[in-house]
Amino acid sequence: MPSISRSPALRVAAAGVGAWAACAAWVPAARAQQQADGFAVERLYTAGPGAGWFVMDDLRLEGGLGGAVSLVLGYSRHPLTVLNGSQRLNVISDQAFAELGLAVTYDRFRLSMDFAGPIIFSGESGQAGGYQFTAPGTNLEQNPDSITDPRIGFDARILGTAKSPFRLGAGVQLIVPAGARADYLTDGGYRGMGRLLLAGDKDRFTWAGQLGVHLRPRDDGKAPGGPRGSELLFGVAFGLRLPVGTGTVSLGPEVYGETAFKSFLGTETTGLEALLGARFEGLRADGVNYRLKLGLGAGLHPRFGAPEWRLVAGLELFGRGKSN
Amino acid sequence: MAAIRSTLLPIVLVAVALPFAAAAESPPKPASAEPAAAVVAPPAEEAFTLMNNMSRKGLHDFKDESWNAYGQITFITSWKPSFAAPYTNANGSNNSLLPDAESSFTGTATLYLGLKLWPGGEAYFAPEVITERPFSQLHGLAGAIQNFELQKTGGEAPQLYRSRVYLRQVIDLGGESVERHSDVLQLGTKDRRRRLILTVGNFTILDLFDKNSFTSDTRQQFLSLSFMTYAAWDFGSDARGYSWGGAAEFDYDDWAIRFGRTSPPKYPNQLPISLRFDREYGDSLELEHDHKLFGREGAVKVLAYRNREFMGRFDESIAALRADPARNAAACTNSLYLSTNASAPDLCWVRRLNIKVGIGLNLEQHLTEDAGVFFRGMISDGATEVQAYTSTDRSISFGGLTKGSVWKRPADLAGIGASIGWISRAHADFLGLGGVDGFIGDGKLNQAAEEAFEVFYSLNFLDVFWLSADYQRIVNPAFNADRGPVNVFGLRLHAQY
Repeated sequence: MPSISRSPALRVAAAGVGAWAACAAWVPAARAQQQADGFAVERLYTAGPGAGWFVMDDLRLEGGLGGAVSLVLGYSRHPLTVLNGSQRLNVISDQAFAELGLAVTYDRFRLSMDFAGPIIFSGESGQAGGYQFTAPGTNLEQNPDSITDPRIGFDARILGTAKSPFRLGAGVQLIVPAGARADYLTDGGYRGMGRLLLAGDKDRFTWAGQLGVHLRPRDDGKAPGGPRGSELLFGVAFGLRLPVGTGTVSLGPEVYGETAFKSFLGTETTGLEALLGARFEGLRADGVNYRLKLGLGAGLHPRFGAPEWRLVAGLELFGRGKSN
Repeated sequence: MAAIRSTLLPIVLVAVALPFAAAAESPPKPASAEPAAAVVAPPAEEAFTLMNNMSRKGLHDFKDESWNAYGQITFITSWKPSFAAPYTNANGSNNSLLPDAESSFTGTATLYLGLKLWPGGEAYFAPEVITERPFSQLHGLAGAIQNFELQKTGGEAPQLYRSRVYLRQVIDLGGESVERHSDVLQLGTKDRRRRLILTVGNFTILDLFDKNSFTSDTRQQFLSLSFMTYAAWDFGSDARGYSWGGAAEFDYDDWAIRFGRTSPPKYPNQLPISLRFDREYGDSLELEHDHKLFGREGAVKVLAYRNREFMGRFDESIAALRADPARNAAACTNSLYLSTNASAPDLCWVRRLNIKVGIGLNLEQHLTEDAGVFFRGMISDGATEVQAYTSTDRSISFGGLTKGSVWKRPADLAGIGASIGWISRAHADFLGLGGVDGFIGDGKLNQAAEEAFEVFYSLNFLDVFWLSADYQRIVNPAFNADRGPVNVFGLRLHAQY
């Protein structure tokens, strides 16, 4: 065997092969080093304060000038998991948040604001699908005062009365960017939502639904799990309202999800989850209504931000003035 | 010292004379059980606000509120012409105020929301947005930072954050009935002068401690940071000035005592905080007595604090450098302040849990219903670096404030005041060797007191707007007699509703 170092032709050939091999090795490595940007991963787009359900809107808007305040605490498990062959990378494995909502209501209209703050956003860093994912390390110590993507919303009941079996309404929301993309708290740009809202009550049966568009400019292309532009929002809920003591208990599931228009109903661009909720509604001595809510949910299709499971608790205080 | 006296004497005279001049047309008010409120123009119960207007139209019970909402927007711009400085950022130290002409601004908007939860139980929430550009990246001034709104983590891109979210429980213990007027972070209600108030959550400790009718509301009153509270009080808070924690206050007629424990930053002057309240904390204890002097309201407060925080001692950093010259500022790999001075000590080598203590006196006295004078003074131990507020170790501030009632513009405000700050010997040695802390460090030091003089006039228009013209003169910036003095001209546009 001639020594490579002694043959110029072989040296050139060996150098070429070596360069090719280095390039071949470098290309996947370079791809693997492409950093995945963060985005707003939360998919629980809560209904306006006082709206009854967690996600759907009961459209029971009536009376004179009134207001509502809501506090929602939520935890979700594995809301962002990306696949690398047979391996799963839980970029966000634990996500907890607190959301405060405020609303002013008048007649059949609601103007609301929601401010969410992260409590824990944590997960695993690693590589998947040619991207490097860096898990967030968000907690109250690192982010003592974060507010993420506040929402300003306006909802209205268009058809039906506050307690009729069929009510039709519409709602729009402006989502203002706040927080850090690296923490998976925001897309970093403005977003919007427009939704057609449906609801009704018949005896003890209550139901609601929604169909809408999430205007989302952000498209992360091939980054696994990332946003793919605007989305269709959908959901339906039904339940029973039962009198308990001086209040009412409502039991029933909400099923909701979203899919990106660019890959409509695609496996990796569609999320679907169900939330089984219980709500107790009562009246305080000072005339203010309150509602305690508890929900336990699971991802029916745990992709695209839908978690494996979710636990949510809420408190609403609302009051309505006398009808004009 | 002669220069200081010559600067301060006219200030003292004017500060005392201005409110006395206003006193001429204002007789003493009959004694009232209502606590003194901050002298701002106008007081909340007369202001043109959403709450007042709803109340007037019968849509809201202003005196027994189940909720309230207030808002404010403030824009402050400051300009400093160039000033004399024989050196700037000497030897690689990097915390000098730049001697060139500079402009600075802040813009803030805040929403204050209050909700009654149950008898005596209240919840408050205040989201806030800020945009800012400081002078010299917020370097080169200690307590005399010209604009209280400036934050260490701010930038020109607007930042939204939650400034406050907390619960308050008031436990009625009897005594005379008193009306609490609806205001920012205060629901309109009636309670008693003997009560226990428990607060827990996310707030600034200045919401609860060291209030002063003439110099606490810096969005309406003085602009300089040295008037917001004691410049030498390094209260436990994050880089924006807010904390998590709890406080208890016991009010007994004219007396009040309050204690609070709040979260300090994990590392000096940074946003992340420590929530290990058993290990790292800022403790504050304040005793207050409200009085009437010649029929006019006044108050005396004594505040003591003790912080246990992750910070460095000046003497230990100097000793570390002397023992091993390699332990200098340039060699520090985890320095927070990025000095490249290879002959200077750095606190990064000696940071550990240390104790900082101080005690202060806060006086206020109404001379008329609409005018009065104030004084604050504090001594801190000066052994450790600034952790949260300013680099000052000892401070006094004093001045006077009046509404424009005498010249028939009762919604206007005018104020004049001065503040002086000092540093400890160990702190001076550290700075003299080229050390830097969170705000200051010129690389050399000709030690002197940092003095600030401020005068402002605030003009009300269209009920909800105030336009303020402000002038500040800062002598010996960063305690360095070699540099300055610095003149700062400011404008403030403030709206509240």
